[in-house]
This record gives sequence, structure tokens and C-alpha cells, in this order.
Amino acid sequence: MSPSYAKPTTPAETAAHSPQIPDDAYQALEDIVGAENVSRDAAVLDTYAFQWLAELVRPDQSHYMARPAAVVLPGSTEEVQAIVRLANKYGLKVKPHGTGWYHWSGPIKDSDATLQLDMRRMNAIVEIDEQNMYAVVEPYVIAAQLQAEILPLGLNLNIPGVGCSSSIVASACAYHGAGPDTYYMGGNAENVLGMEWVTPEGEIVRTGSLGSGDGWFCSEGPGPSVRGICRGTLGSRGGLGVYTRCAVKLAPHFGQTEWNVEGTLPAYRLPIHENLRVYTLAVPDWDAWAEIYYRIYDNEIGYIFHRQFNLAGADLAAAFWLMYNDASKTLSDVPELAADPEIIALTEELRISFQLILAGRSNDDIELQDKILDAILEEVGGHKVERFCERDMAEFTNVYLQRLGHKHINFVWAGGYIGSWMQFGTPDWVKGYIPTAAAGLERDAAGGKLVQCGGDAMMGSGSGIPLGGATGLEQFVSYDPDDYDSTVAGIKHMEDAVGDAAAISYPPGKEFLYLQIGWTDEQIWDALAHAKQPQAFHYQRKIKEAFDPNNVGDRMYPTLPEGYTAGE
Amino acid sequence: MALTDYRADAMRCTRCSYCKWIPFDLVKSHQFAKGCPSIEAGKFHAYSAGGKLVTALSLMDGRSEVTDQVVDIAFKCQLCGNCDVACKLCRYDMEPILALREFRAHLVEMDRVPESYRPLIERTRAALAGKGPKTPADRNAWAEGLGLKDPTAEPVDVVFYAGCKYSLEETLRETVRTQVRLLQLAGLTVGLFENGCCGGLADKLGYRDEAAEAGQRMLKQWAAAGVKTVVTSCADCRHVFTRVYPQLEGAPEAMPQILHTVECVDQLIRDERLELATPVPMAVTYHDPCNLGRQGEPYTQWEGVEKKIYGQAVVYDPPRPRHNGAYGVYQAPRDVLAAIPGVQLVEMERSREAAWCCGAGGACREAFPEYSAATAAERVEEAASTGAEALVTACSRCELNFTEAVAADTASGGPGADLKVHDVLELVALSAGIGKERS
Repeated sequence: MSPSYAKPTTPAETAAHSPQIPDDAYQALEDIVGAENVSRDAAVLDTYAFQWLAELVRPDQSHYMARPAAVVLPGSTEEVQAIVRLANKYGLKVKPHGTGWYHWSGPIKDSDATLQLDMRRMNAIVEIDEQNMYAVVEPYVIAAQLQAEILPLGLNLNIPGVGCSSSIVASACAYHGAGPDTYYMGGNAENVLGMEWVTPEGEIVRTGSLGSGDGWFCSEGPGPSVRGICRGTLGSRGGLGVYTRCAVKLAPHFGQTEWNVEGTLPAYRLPIHENLRVYTLAVPDWDAWAEIYYRIYDNEIGYIFHRQFNLAGADLAAAFWLMYNDASKTLSDVPELAADPEIIALTEELRISFQLILAGRSNDDIELQDKILDAILEEVGGHKVERFCERDMAEFTNVYLQRLGHKHINFVWAGGYIGSWMQFGTPDWVKGYIPTAAAGLERDAAGGKLVQCGGDAMMGSGSGIPLGGATGLEQFVSYDPDDYDSTVAGIKHMEDAVGDAAAISYPPGKEFLYLQIGWTDEQIWDALAHAKQPQAFHYQRKIKEAFDPNNVGDRMYPTLPEGYTAGE
Repeated sequence: MALTDYRADAMRCTRCSYCKWIPFDLVKSHQFAKGCPSIEAGKFHAYSAGGKLVTALSLMDGRSEVTDQVVDIAFKCQLCGNCDVACKLCRYDMEPILALREFRAHLVEMDRVPESYRPLIERTRAALAGKGPKTPADRNAWAEGLGLKDPTAEPVDVVFYAGCKYSLEETLRETVRTQVRLLQLAGLTVGLFENGCCGGLADKLGYRDEAAEAGQRMLKQWAAAGVKTVVTSCADCRHVFTRVYPQLEGAPEAMPQILHTVECVDQLIRDERLELATPVPMAVTYHDPCNLGRQGEPYTQWEGVEKKIYGQAVVYDPPRPRHNGAYGVYQAPRDVLAAIPGVQLVEMERSREAAWCCGAGGACREAFPEYSAATAAERVEEAASTGAEALVTACSRCELNFTEAVAADTASGGPGADLKVHDVLELVALSAGIGKERS
């Protein structure tokens, strides 16, 4: 442990830097939710301040974001409304989270007295409308729970890239919500239907058809069409009110309705239904990679489409995943596996690979899709990776991608990962940044402060929009959050990635979003003013003024001050 | 170990919340997806394993102090190990359950424990000093008339250790007697020492010195008599024998073989030393006790250091054995049930490594009875949802908690009303013709 992580402090010193909630406001919170559902115990608050990525943006690489003034567990929309109104009265900020993951899900600024809303008591599946193919959920329903309930009905849902541990409401109402299923099922930004939204002033707005009393089926009407206002493209990430319920569109499911998982922890397996095919496909170069993506889009085959396993790094992915599939092995076994000649060959074979699950409505349908895929592979010079298409690995791939229940393997190497790059566009455009992204990671990991698993540790959805057309690859950069120097190397990588992208005329990637959390307001305004469409942030200021006059939400809903323009 | 040894685990926790759920691949419904009784009761993130780690980190960082709520966070937890299984779905560098145990021991050293602990540990200390209300001879009253041998006087095939609950709870007396009679029916000579508690309760409470004293006493007794095999009917005792005793000062390099009765009977059935001929027509569901299932796998004590490969990938030198619940004692009880003609096993949604705790573990039955009962009630509801006639298990503490939860449901018309609760070996005994159905 570096001494830099052990800055001596005392409870009193820490508290002195954390705005407190007035006693009468705290009492009022207890009256709203019950004393057992609110806390201002310092250690409890720290468990909300402690967040992944905090160490990359906070002073002294602290693992703690700003400490909330209190954490509150509301049990109903009405309680949320009362809390928000209380916040307006006392000048407190409100920051809700679903499952509470990412450094922006807690308070951003030390100077703000923030009520952290942990939505875990609101955990009901309100309705599953099988006929109209939608479900209504509260904020603490995670994707795994809803999927488990709807698979027996022959239905499925898009599970975003973050995995099935995530809140459906959070991804649908307040963040992006794209993942391996999006190609077929749509992303949650598109899939959200009616929403119940407690505005920053404490009004309850029911959007779309819900607002006219016609149920949850439509996001845009008849009724108030405010999806663009309250969620936009990326979502307000807790910065503009609280979402208490929403409906999401469901998709047809063609596999088995019985979810009988087999195998040994941790690499469970899901037997492959006769109407499914589960493949790991490889192509010889990045031109062929772009081409096969286009052809999959054009031929409208496929159900789940993702470049998943490469997150372990192109140099080590084969060894890693074979290790993972042997319950007796650990990371200590990876070097020996990686040195095995057969695995060396497999590593080379997997270098430019991705996963595709085909799903047919019938035997004829799946056979046709299979033939089309074979023809595409022949045309682009690709092939099925035999070892990863064998039963054990295929069944593992099947459960992995169907449920996305292992997504935190992201952290497997060292406990910390940064998603850099991930600019989103056509395959040809994405192909254009891959060499730079790979070279950048090789360079930044060369000193041994980041995990050296190959320059290409890029993972991403086959298409982040429905029906194909646009994709993106996220560079998985692993660092040790318990190692100060490694953490600093992670920060440098993020800054380097921004510069690398600019050097090849690409916009900054996901790391830019991460970095901004630690910036001053002025730095953020400058970045927004230099965005492609800065006027949007002036428009959002107008929205904020209208819906949040007391500035209860935080800056995760980005705005530009009136008259602010880009400087030099 | 010290709490600071788990600082890295806390620093590397990503707050992913996997520890709150069963492994996601195993989720079959909204209702039974939850994995952690502690956070279901405490609700704040701090009650999850990740939250407990960060609570401890906050204390270590000097940012907060030990308050009553911190004490509640640390101790209102069955140490059931679901968090450990779920975390290790994706991680090789975290040891949540060990860290949670260390957190407790740390607070015990500070004498910051729940008030409900104090009489428990005083009772344990008194028993260790030979001043308890129950002497070792009292503890063996259950065995009267069974013809058990004195291992210090004559060689025996196995030494039987009943554990506190089976020794002292009248309601469990017939169960434990039946278990011994099964061993004898198979031709085993069974010995019984006069001894006290194994130290398991003290260990779970976080009082390591007391646990060690009890353990060392037991180990000396075994060594003096040349004990080769210990069979215990208590999953908690088995856990202490296999995980705590080998670490004690003076522990022999070669420990006696430790078997749970269900493992022993499984082997006896395989060896055709027990004939199960009488049908027991009953649909049952089996509850995996935490300390026999996910925390019952073969355990190798590890000492070593962290090292880095590939720049920053975290590994250990020597390699740290993987204890993630994959190889717990899951199959033996199921094989035993399958060997009983007429018994139909219906699995609960959460089974094997994903089993929801009975609520009794971690000394919660004694220290937090309401919390313990609520946890048991959820398991009973899950058992009832299978349509099974009986909930069977292989642990005295589970059996007690379930029996009481069913009684509460029966009184209130709850979902578990009239569900039968059995030890696995009670059904074996019925089939072997030596048991009688409990009223």
C-alpha cells in the first residue's frame, strides 16, 4: 500500500468536510420514511461515498466520493415526492440511485449537502403485460429478476452491458442502456415506455400514454411526451428528479422457457435449445471484422451479438477463459496455460473474434440463418472458433450472454478497470480507431503499472442500436485500486486516450465521461462549450430552470450558463 | 490475521452488489433472487458484504467511529457465505467471508459487541472453566442406553460428536439418538467422549481465544485416544473442526478424518452396510446447511503473499487455494435421499451454493432471535412453494429454526403452515426400519 493512500484523518476532520443535515430536516425525513429507513451514521454514509472510479477523480486518489448528508430509503412514490419537497425546502440536493454503481451515482461535490436516495425498498414488478409485451417495474428490480419471470412466458428483455445486476429503471430512464441484446431487442433508451417521474420540484409526472390514463404502453403519448426532456440520449444519471416506475418493451424469446442451468460454479452452463446456435466467430483482420458486421446487419440474422471474451485482453483471453471454466484453477494458472502451444494457437485464432447467438422461430428459420452465416463467413474469410464452439464453452457462452450475470469479470485482473474509447459509429468508423486504441494501451501498460494483457482488450455490443448499423468498442484497462502508482497510471491512460483520439480526429470516449466527474464546473462548461452542439446544453439549462429552480439535482444533468461560449 | 490484512479486499471492492444476490445464472424468480439475509434486514448498503468491508475500511481510514449501528452491521449477519460465493463468481482476489469474520474479531477486541452477546460468551467461558450449568456428563444424557463406548478405554470405529444443540435440546433428542442407531446398525462401533462445546459458538461470535481454548482441549482428547474418525451430526461443528482447528496452535499435522453424519451414512449406503427397504412415500425438499454446503468444501489453510503478474494482475505466492463453494457437501445428502424408496426430492429455487440461510448461523439465533426467525420464515416459504410435504436438512440449528418458523406459520396461517421438518437421517432410519415418524 502506498503511503499516499493512508492520509491520516479523524472522524471529526472528515465530518468537518461533509455538509450536515439540519436536525429538524432529519427529523422530518424520519417522519416520512420511518427512523429505520434513514441514516446519518458516518460509516453508513461512507459505504455510499465509496465508489468504483472515485480514486481516478478524487483528490489524493481517495476511494470516497463526497459523503452524503444522509441516506434515505423511500418505500413509495409518495415518499419520494415528500423527500424531494423537503429537499427543496431545506436547500438540500437529492441524488437517487438504483443498485448504486459508478462514481456518479453518489454526491459529486463536497460542498453539497446531499440526500442519497437508495431505492432498494421499491423493488416490485408491478405488471407484466404478456399480450402487449411490456413490463412495469420499480427502481430496485434488476434485470435478472425480470428476465427470470418473463422467460417462461416466451419473452425476454434487453440487458444492458453493465449486466443483469443493474436496475432496469436506472438504465431505461437515466442512462444509456445498450448491450449485447440491443441489436435484436433495442436499447433501453428506446425501450422505455411510460415513466413515473418525480421532478426536482416534487411534482409527479406520468409520461406518455400513462399520463392520459391509457396505461403504460407508449412513451410519447397520448399524454405528456417528455422523454427527451427527462432522459435525452445518455440520461440524466440521477441529476434531474427521481424515477419511481417505468415500463419497458419486451422482446420475443426463442430459447427454452425452462431455465435449467448446469455446471459448476463459477462457469455455469445453459444447454443450447434446438432453435439456438451459439458461436464464437473469428475473422482475419479488421477490414473483415467491419465487413462481417455489415453483412450480419444486412442479412438480419442473429439475436445476441457481442464482442465479449476479448475483455480479458487479446494476448490472454484464451488462457483466461479456459482457466475460468475449470473451477479448480485460479489466475495463478494463467501463465502456464498461456504458454501451452495449443492455447498459443488458440490465442492467435481468437485475436479478432466475437460472439453471435442465432435464434430461430422454427427449425427452418435457424437452419436458414445458419446457412446465411456460413455463406457470410466464407465471403469474408471468417470461421467458427472450434474450441469455443465445443459444447462446454458454447453452453457457457450461452448463459453468459443470455443473462449477463458475470459482467464483473471486468474487474478480474486487479480489482479496477477503466472503460476507455467506446466511440460509437459504423463498423468502418470504429475500425479506424482500433489501432490507435491498441497502441495506446500497449504504451501505457509498458511500465507495468497497468495489466499487460494485449493492446486490444476491446469489448462491445455488435450493435448499440436496434437492427444494426452502429457499434463501438470499449478498451478494458485494468489497474489495481489498492496500488497508488497503478491508479495514477490509470488516470494517465485516460488522459492519454483523450489525446490519442484527438490526434486521429475522433471525439473523446468513455474515459472523458469518467474524468469529468472530478472536474470543476468551469472545466466542464469549457468541455460542453466545445462539444459539437453546445446549444443543446443551453437548451438543457432552460429545462433545468423550468423543472429544478432550486437546483436540487446535481450537475449530472449537464447545462451551460447563460451566454457561455467556447473560449480559446 | 488482522483486519488490516483485508484492507486490500475493501480497496478493490467495486460495489458491484453481487454479494446481495445469489449467483445470477441461478436466478429463477423475482422473489427468490436475494442472497443476503443481512442486507434484507438492515437494508442499507453497509449490511451487505461489500458494505461491511467498506464500513471496516472507513474505520481503518479514521473517517468514522464504532457506533451502535456499526456494531449492528458487523454482527447482524449469519456468516452464511452466500456473499463469498457470489463475489467469487468474478473475483479471485477477494475473501469476503474471512474479512467479515475478522471484522467481528476486531470489534470483540475493542469490546464493542451487541449486548445480547455478553450472556452468551459468559456462558461459554463458564462452561470452559467447568462452571457451566451443564457438565460434560450432563451433555451426554441424550446417549443413555445407546451403548456408546468410551474411546479412552477401548478402540472404536468412529467418535461421535453431537454438538450443543443435539446434546441439550430435548426436542432434538430423538433425532440424534436415531443417527447413532443408524451408525450402529451399519456395524460401526461408536465412541463418545465426555466433553463440552466445540468452540463453534465462540468462534462465530468472534471470541477467538475462547474458541481456541475449546478446540485445543478437544484436540488433546482426540490425540490421547488416537481418534481416527470423528462423525458429527452438527454442520457447525464440522465447519469448526475442519476450518478452525487445523489453524490452532498445537494442532496435529494430520487431523482425524472429520465427517458429517450424512457423509458417513452416504458411504455406509454405498458400501451396502445399510439396507433401506421400507418405503417412505414423501415429497421432500432439501435445505443445504451453509456450513455443510458452500462452507463445507475441503479446506486448505493458506499462508503466503500477494504478488503481481502481467504488470498488475493480482495472484498469490504460493497460489491461494480457491474456496468458493463449488465443492461443498451437496451431493451426499441428495444421494442419501435418493436411496430411500418412496422419497421424491423437489429442489428449492435456491439450492446448493445458492441456498438461503436458515437464519440460525453466525450466532444470530442466540443474539438476534427476531432477525433469525425472519430469515428462517423466508426459507420455509420457499420450501412450501415447492409443494413438498417436508423440509429436510442436516443441521440441528437449521432444524430448530425451521421447526419454529413452521410453528409460527401454522399458528398464523402462513405459507409454511403444517410443513414437516426432518433431519435427512430420520427418513433413512424410517426406511431402515429403526425409526418412527415424529408426531
